Amino acid sequence: MADAALWIMVIILAVVVLLLMQLLKRVLAAATSIPPKIDAIAGVAVAANKDLEAVALLLTTQGYVASIKGSVLDYGGSLNAALPDY
Amino acid sequence: MEIQVAIIILLVAVIIAELAIYLIATILQLFKINAGLAVVLPVVGGIIVKTAPVNPVVDDINRNLVITRDALENLMLKKGGADAAGLVESLFPGEGAKFLRRVNRSGKVVNVGTVYTRGVGILASLGRGAPIGAAHTKGSAIRDAQYSTSEVSKLYPAPPDRRDPTRQIPKAPIIGKDPVHSPYEPVLTSGTRNRDAQGNRIDAPPPTPPAAPSAPTGGAAPPAAPAAPAQLGRLSGKGLRPWER
Repeated sequence: MADAALWIMVIILAVVVLLLMQLLKRVLAAATSIPPKIDAIAGVAVAANKDLEAVALLLTTQGYVASIKGSVLDYGGSLNAALPDY
Repeated sequence: MEIQVAIIILLVAVIIAELAIYLIATILQLFKINAGLAVVLPVVGGIIVKTAPVNPVVDDINRNLVITRDALENLMLKKGGADAAGLVESLFPGEGAKFLRRVNRSGKVVNVGTVYTRGVGILASLGRGAPIGAAHTKGSAIRDAQYSTSEVSKLYPAPPDRRDPTRQIPKAPIIGKDPVHSPYEPVLTSGTRNRDAQGNRIDAPPPTPPAAPSAPTGGAAPPAAPAAPAQLGRLSGKGLRPWER
């Protein structure tokens, strides 16, 4: 009886060894696949950060658009007075 | 010791070794991930800092552009009237209907640029009240290519004082083969006509061979170039060039 119990334990341990190996292999594969992706993200982030240096020009564009709006409104007022209505 | 116990001990040892190997490898990969994230996170933070003021700036730009567009559209609507959408359509195809929707108007958009050229359409709408948009966009053009001058004279008839035959106002010069009062100077070189009056292609005459010398001179100097004309012809309708006066 004791021998049978020991053999059952041997079989269970063998199955556990196989299952554990498969699980740990998958965990290691997932962990191994992350660093290349992080490197790619780092490259993209650095490039995006460099591209965003031109965002400061939006302030210049903002000033230009505001001045253009003023000019168009002034010119439109003159046209409104100069041209006859439909 | 029984064989089963030995196998059990061996299997436990294998499990422990397996755990140690794979977990150590996983820990090494986690160290790499940590180092990579340490590089990425400050850069992403920089992106966030740089893009923070974009929204209010873009909103301000959009607001100013919308104000400008509304002002121009209202001016166009006030001055162009029913033809305003057609004018917008002629400049920006597909925008005429949107323009009508923005100004809360409805109706069919007729591309005036299809019927008339852009300048004529604008001048006609501002001046004599030509039938802008009288034809459908997909239909044939109002302008007649064969009798276009007659159509123009219908649109812009001569003033009454010019219709009085007793005043004998000379008509505009007619440009023909040999006009008496041609406004253009005679050409210096004869041109070539590629098609006849019926539009048929005329074959080009064979090139004339260069004139052979009358007698071999044997090493004599080449014949002199023809003399330049005494007075150069005018090259433009604005008058003589400064160095010809």
